[in-house]
Amino acid sequence: MFHQFSATAESLSKASSLVLRIGTDAHLYDDPDDVSIGPLLESRFDSEKVDALKRLLALLAQGSDVSQFFPQVVKNVASQSLELKKLVYLYLLHYAEKRQNEALLSINCFQKDLSDTNPLVRAWALRTMAGIRLHAVAPLVLRAITKCARDPSAYVRKCAAYALPKLYDLHHDEDNSSFEELVDILLNDHSPGVVGAAAAAFKSVCPSSLFLIAKSFRRLCEILPDVEEWGQIVLIEILLRYIIARHGIVKESIMFSLSTMSTTPVADGFPTFSGTSGNCQTLVGTTCDVNMITLMCKSYIDGQIECFAQTGCSNSNDDKLDLSLTSSTNDDVVMLLRCTSPLLWSHNSAVVLAAAGVHWIMAPRENIERIIKPLLFILRSCQASKYVILCNLLVFAKAVPPFFSQYYEDFFVCSYDTYQIRALKLEILSIIATESSIPIILQEFQDYVKDPDRRFVADTVAAIGLCAQRLPMVASACLEGLLAITFYESSLSSSSQIDGEAGVLVQAIMSIKAIIKQNPDSYDRVIVQLACNLDRIKIPAARALVIWIIGEYSVIGQIIPKVVPSILNYLAWSFTSEEPDTKLQILNTAAKVLLCAQGADSLAFRKILSYFIELAKYDINYDVRDRAHFIFKFMPHSLMTSSEKDNNSDISQNGRMHHEPGGKILNGKMHSSISSTKSSRIYLPGSLSQIVLHAASGYEPLPKPCSLLNTDLTAGVVNETNDSDISSGSSIEESGSVYDSDHSSISSDDGNESVNDSNDTESTALAVRNDVQDVREKTLVDVSNVNVCVDDSNENTKGNLSAFISTDLAELMPKLALESWLDEEPGVSSIQTTQQASSGRISINNLNCTVTPKLHSLLDPTTNNGLRVEYAFSYEISTISSMLVLVEIFFENCSSEPIKNIALKDGESSLSVESSDQVLGESESLLRTANVPPVLSTEEIASLDPGQRVKKLIEIRFPHHLLPLKLAVTCNGKKFSTKLWPDIGYFLKPLSMNTSAFIDHERQLPGMFEYSKSIDYKMWCTFKDHIEKIAPVKDDSSIHSDKIILLSQILASKVLSNCNVSLVCADIPVSFNIDDASGLCLRFSGELLSNSKPCLISILVEGKFSEPLVLTVKINCEETVFGLNLLNRVAAFLQ
Amino acid sequence: MLQCIFFLSDAGEVMLEKQMTGHHVDRSICSWFWDYVLSQGGDPSMILPVIASPTHYLFQVFRDGIVFLACTQVEMPPLMGIEFLCRVADVLTDYLGGLNEDVIKDNFVIVYELLDEMMDNGVPLTTEPNILREMLAPPNIVSKMLSVVTGKNSNVSTKLPDATASSIPWRKINTKHSSNEVYVNLVEEMDAIFNRDGILVKCEIYGEVQVNSHLPGLPDLTLSFSNPSILNDVRFHPCVRFRPWEADQILSFVPPDGEFRLMSYRVKKLKSTPIYVKPQLTSNAGHSRISVLVGIHNDPGKTIDSITVQFQLPLCVSSANFTPNHGTVNILADKTCRWSIGQVPKGKSPCLSGNLVLEADLEKLHVFPVFRVGFRIMGVASSGLQIHRLDVKNTPSEPYKGFRALTQSGEYEVRS
Repeated sequence: MFHQFSATAESLSKASSLVLRIGTDAHLYDDPDDVSIGPLLESRFDSEKVDALKRLLALLAQGSDVSQFFPQVVKNVASQSLELKKLVYLYLLHYAEKRQNEALLSINCFQKDLSDTNPLVRAWALRTMAGIRLHAVAPLVLRAITKCARDPSAYVRKCAAYALPKLYDLHHDEDNSSFEELVDILLNDHSPGVVGAAAAAFKSVCPSSLFLIAKSFRRLCEILPDVEEWGQIVLIEILLRYIIARHGIVKESIMFSLSTMSTTPVADGFPTFSGTSGNCQTLVGTTCDVNMITLMCKSYIDGQIECFAQTGCSNSNDDKLDLSLTSSTNDDVVMLLRCTSPLLWSHNSAVVLAAAGVHWIMAPRENIERIIKPLLFILRSCQASKYVILCNLLVFAKAVPPFFSQYYEDFFVCSYDTYQIRALKLEILSIIATESSIPIILQEFQDYVKDPDRRFVADTVAAIGLCAQRLPMVASACLEGLLAITFYESSLSSSSQIDGEAGVLVQAIMSIKAIIKQNPDSYDRVIVQLACNLDRIKIPAARALVIWIIGEYSVIGQIIPKVVPSILNYLAWSFTSEEPDTKLQILNTAAKVLLCAQGADSLAFRKILSYFIELAKYDINYDVRDRAHFIFKFMPHSLMTSSEKDNNSDISQNGRMHHEPGGKILNGKMHSSISSTKSSRIYLPGSLSQIVLHAASGYEPLPKPCSLLNTDLTAGVVNETNDSDISSGSSIEESGSVYDSDHSSISSDDGNESVNDSNDTESTALAVRNDVQDVREKTLVDVSNVNVCVDDSNENTKGNLSAFISTDLAELMPKLALESWLDEEPGVSSIQTTQQASSGRISINNLNCTVTPKLHSLLDPTTNNGLRVEYAFSYEISTISSMLVLVEIFFENCSSEPIKNIALKDGESSLSVESSDQVLGESESLLRTANVPPVLSTEEIASLDPGQRVKKLIEIRFPHHLLPLKLAVTCNGKKFSTKLWPDIGYFLKPLSMNTSAFIDHERQLPGMFEYSKSIDYKMWCTFKDHIEKIAPVKDDSSIHSDKIILLSQILASKVLSNCNVSLVCADIPVSFNIDDASGLCLRFSGELLSNSKPCLISILVEGKFSEPLVLTVKINCEETVFGLNLLNRVAAFLQ
Repeated sequence: MLQCIFFLSDAGEVMLEKQMTGHHVDRSICSWFWDYVLSQGGDPSMILPVIASPTHYLFQVFRDGIVFLACTQVEMPPLMGIEFLCRVADVLTDYLGGLNEDVIKDNFVIVYELLDEMMDNGVPLTTEPNILREMLAPPNIVSKMLSVVTGKNSNVSTKLPDATASSIPWRKINTKHSSNEVYVNLVEEMDAIFNRDGILVKCEIYGEVQVNSHLPGLPDLTLSFSNPSILNDVRFHPCVRFRPWEADQILSFVPPDGEFRLMSYRVKKLKSTPIYVKPQLTSNAGHSRISVLVGIHNDPGKTIDSITVQFQLPLCVSSANFTPNHGTVNILADKTCRWSIGQVPKGKSPCLSGNLVLEADLEKLHVFPVFRVGFRIMGVASSGLQIHRLDVKNTPSEPYKGFRALTQSGEYEVRS
């Protein structure tokens, strides 16, 4: 730290600024790598390690990849200093997924920390262990979570709940029931903090298992106000979903109002609303509400996609949702509403919105109003949340404007609002305006029109238009104001070239257009006024709009037809200087005018139109040329200028014109498409999807009403009967029946698993299986082993019901099948069975497996003067120390001259401390204390003649079962250093036991001592080789048994030639299907060299011979890290 | 669940990243975000708080020059994300004594440790400031000096705060204090809008009851108002019990230790404001005159200080000069004018007058600025809310109780 100050003049200024930053970590952020980090991590002092880790963190913060320090950092996980631990965890969590193998080394430490007395240490260990995302340790994590879910400290339990989604995320193809069980335990915790966390876990692990909520619904409601704010948000949502799924929609709620409103006359539709707003609703406003609410209700329940499909094909009123209803007096509904209403006072706006969402959906219509004020109040929190709240309010306001009409003041725009907030406020204001409030709102709009933000001004103008459309009473006032704006803007627009200026004028004319459209006859003066100002309106889009209006309404009223000719003359004069957009509109208008014209005017119009067409035909813009040709082709009659046409001009022009295709096209009334898709997209209140207006991944609409069936609930009851301490909802208990109690007794007999799916087939299957088990246990010991084996597989993959049944059915006739099989191949099978009973070593010899100890090269002849050194692991056990592994070394002289003085030495002595520091974990520290030299070398070989091969046996103490040992080979006075890689399979020694002992041992090592992995195994590739090798077997009838024996031989030889273990037994399945290999189970046992703890390997085969088989390797071992590494090794060599 | 949190400076530099889940979010999202900010005008405070980027949904909160950016890929309540980011900003402000780029960088280790405690797997874990303070000691002078002298600096607590286990997670179980005192402050902000005709359109008070408690043991406090009926809306700290408020409008609570916001409230439809600001703009032939008059309207009985008037010159104004008869005027680069008045002098009303030169081809002003007014009145709660009494139970001796009030301007604006 002081070297910062003993600096050169250049860094003196830096130092002065540092005075203020003394004691902070500023210098670390500024130059994190000004010292070399590696050595610091190796330091003996915690403070230096902390310094190094802070530097790493700084680099990480700045975005550099510092994963290369991972091995060094991992070692510090065992530190006692909490600060160091915390920093290491921060680092680990960031990189563990990238460096899986090294991260495994930290598992032992986490395991140790999990039983620490300090709850903080336990919590951190659990959080980190679950967070590092290693597939291999997933079973360990599950075990740890299960343990921590019952921890005395609430904080640890809370962390256990948080760890569940992490594990689920890593491993979620796995059967869900163990997760559900844990969620259930945590949801029933008495500490509110834990319940909140459990709710979060529920949502990400098993959001659809609503039956878990059933039994504790009331308790959850009661505890809700005490849960932490973040937990409240999630819990509220879960409770709402439960209520909908259990009881359906509340009859009095707004969600249900659609069906009553679409059937009853509109006048009676809003009995409650007329009181709230104080003045009667207009017809237009009310019907709009109904459509909106219908749409909303459908969106909430069906989700967006289905909803669009429905509204697309039929009008929204026609098809009604088949809703299951409940009354607002339902106890559960009342309970939920009562417990969420105080949350409307929460200081967390997310909680307020969530609680308001429940009331919006569930509360009776007359009670919904209570959510409005709290919602408006949370608008006064931060800017960012304001936007989100307004987005939600907009939907509410659209559905039921009267709720908001008296609070218009809250939506007044102020200069602190961002543009998006202003736009939303304007939209809401234009929706909620009533006849009593509109004068004040319009007054407000007049202020906005002068705002410096021109985009906002344009929006205001649009909002004025909307208000005028909604409230015809103010239409003329609005129109006047809009005209004033139009003229004012058109006077300005000539001079200002700033962005967004044009928009205001265009928007103003669009608003005018929209108002005129509602009642064109009464606004003819407005049209004339616009037309007279055409000269002043310079913006092409605005001009085009005005010209369109003239064309559209050219025959309305008395005045317009009189001014149209002069307007057309004016346009003819200006046509060449117009923009393309305007030109197109002029052409359209001229054509329309001609179509509608009567009498003498038509001749003049025809001339003008032909003039326009002539000009347009040679226009630069091809759109304009196209339009000219189009009009010319479609209106041949009206453009005929020959004298014959004059003759029949007295025929009603109109009648004839409309027969022309052009007349249909140009005079066809456009259907307004006011409701844009954007505005009709509705998602659940408070959801992300509602803000981004598309369904975000993971968005779920409300469950189908009453989709939670009684059978699901009874499953919950089964659990409940086991859990004695829970008081449950009233209605649910009643549905428990005799059948259910039977069922629960079966499942409890069966032992560990909770049966969540109350299915008839399953229970019968269970019963059948039990029977079969009984029968078999009396008759054939071997086959009952098979049964146990299948049991295991079912524990692993429980829930896979179909597989379960099929294996059981296959076992229904084991005796018969076995006997037939025995008859066919009596010799082989008897040998096989005896082999199974005997120890593995003998069976190898008998089976004549190709158990060749694998030779590894230690020294290549090409790199030195011709000495080849190879090694293989020996099956024998060292007599000196349990730490030693026996290795056979083969020396071979490949050169033409004799090699002298060959010796093998430990390369360690010449090496730095580095490699010894890599020693980690418990067993290794034992090794170190044992003080055995790493290599017990044999005596020198004096001389080796060319071609001669000598075998030596040495005993080696490996520093770690994964890390290599450095060795040095000396010959002819030269020294070659090399590495001897350990094979984890030879850190075992065979442990002979019989099958029942094996199963006993297996039972003693459950849960976190058990790791399994499935691999695909392509049988046929290796199988063919073996077919050829074992020549005598030719008989087709015996191919089945051969296949299965062959397979077991192959697997056994593979395991035995890579691991020093003994074969306990091979369980051969019996089935009708000769292609089926499922159920073959090989068991091997061994014990660890270092501490003689047993280590069990079982390999379970599933699948058919014709297809790739699935091998599940399971290892039971107390040494977790060793076990996991061994598992990886076994999986690797089996593939 | 939030997958990742980034801190960006207002120049777009990524200062810090904290991955929250195993699904790492690449930093490149920040450059996408910054490009988006630039495309929206470059001001992070003006962009949407929820953005759908091609790969992630982004929540952003801009506070004191720092962008707090959070990413998620799945549905979650957006308010939850935003509230959490606000909470992070609050906690950091509290810990570091303010927020700016340097202070974040200087204390990045603490920031990391805090973020790790505050969120687990993308879900908020511990956000209660009192518990966080017990888990991680905030940096202070003593710890800084210690770290310089001894070279050691551990701010990580070795003990789990008891409060995590209790049913009142905001308070430690056995607080010991040499002092035995509790202060209640009413801090009110006045929001007002005057329209272009000078009429008061909307005036309301947003107020907070801030409590600073240093009480031993587990005290039980009851606070009542003499006129609770004027309150339009209320929101409470989690420590407030709902029942007594529902029944009698009484605040009953076990306070956290130290400073906290007990309650916030709103009083609507006020009829008058303490000061008036009258702007006037006239323009013709390319020249505009501006004059702003400030004065005291309804004397609140206490001095009004820190009066400021701030407004943004329209884009079409090319240059301007102002002469105030009191106070000083600053014009910033983005055409923001800030007139600092301080207190209104006796017998003279402050007046600002000035000339605006419009862009060459503009005849007269067509857009008009909005004037934002700032002020502060010590000792007055403008809403008229009065504390009736504060009872403290469950303490060994009667504590010292203090009451204060303050009114300041909130969103107070005058349109011209």
